[in-house]
Amino acid sequence: MKTLMINASPKKKMSVSAYFLSVLKFFTFGGVTKENLRNKGDHARLLGALDGADNVVFCLPMYVDGVPSHVLAFMKEAEAYCREKGLKVNVYVISNGGFIEGNQNRVLMQIFENFCNRSGLNWCGGIGIGGGVMLNVMRVMFFVYIGLFVLNMIMGNPVKDDLIELAKGLGVVLFFNLGVFGLSAAMGAAIRKGRSFGV
Amino acid sequence: MKVLIHDLGEGFDEILSEKCDRMISANGKYAPCQGCFGCWTKTPAECFMKDKLKESCRVIGTADELVIITENCYGSSSPAVKNVLDRSIGVSTPFSTYRGGQMHHTLRYGQHGILTIIAYGSITEEESMTMKQLAQRNAINMGYKEVKFIHCESAEKARDML
Repeated sequence: MKTLMINASPKKKMSVSAYFLSVLKFFTFGGVTKENLRNKGDHARLLGALDGADNVVFCLPMYVDGVPSHVLAFMKEAEAYCREKGLKVNVYVISNGGFIEGNQNRVLMQIFENFCNRSGLNWCGGIGIGGGVMLNVMRVMFFVYIGLFVLNMIMGNPVKDDLIELAKGLGVVLFFNLGVFGLSAAMGAAIRKGRSFGV
Repeated sequence: MKVLIHDLGEGFDEILSEKCDRMISANGKYAPCQGCFGCWTKTPAECFMKDKLKESCRVIGTADELVIITENCYGSSSPAVKNVLDRSIGVSTPFSTYRGGQMHHTLRYGQHGILTIIAYGSITEEESMTMKQLAQRNAINMGYKEVKFIHCESAEKARDML
């Protein structure tokens, strides 16, 4: 199974979409190509990559309750391309918004489902993630906690106390990311089997 | 103040500008939002990109009535209109509150009157449902008390709705 993962965040650095795709790639076990979608210059390359793929995963931020404009522009080109070539690719979506409710991504998912219906692609569902910015901060905190632990060791603080603090910090990071890990594992399994994931 | 955003093309600009107080022509020539949140933090209600959308937040933010004429695109606005909306998130602030039972950003310019979305072009039943839901969500997000969704077969009929 060839899987194309498209990071559609316009950000070059510190993109939470890139983080979610890294987690999903880990659970997909190979056959994955990662690409970025930031502007029109990426369209031709991505359409070429779409041609040989069995699955495509769009990972994108939610903008104003829907799909960002640069992704909509790509979808319009992709619709014409897929219909012309008669492609039957499985489409999965991971979207994230800053609000804590993941179900605020529901309309965005419907837009992708409508896109699949028009393009003749197989809509296989997606994950709507709430609190995307918070999860990005948590990712940074993981390294901050480890850095603080190393610093305290160098300064000669008691190792036992440092270990307890490190375990507490990493526990919080892990707790808030449990949903991402669990759902990515489930989506990874669906992608490997070419099955629908649901929303 | 009545503000209009449309993607009907520059040929319609003159006629449409007479039917509103301020008009933003979504002609697809503007760069998309970079997700930097500068319009929330560094330069509130102002985009760092120096084009005609630089101050679109202030125009949209001060509207009593906002009319959006857009081609249907899978139940969403067209890329050109969506770009204007994406570049205008400065109408809200980075702070959060609860509206309609869900988390949303607080409004920089307070509540507004009515949001009208006029979609044109071919549309399926599912896309029509999606667009209605999107219009309702946009109204809550942008602080509109009322929302209206209209679909027209052609761009000309959409223009005549104004």
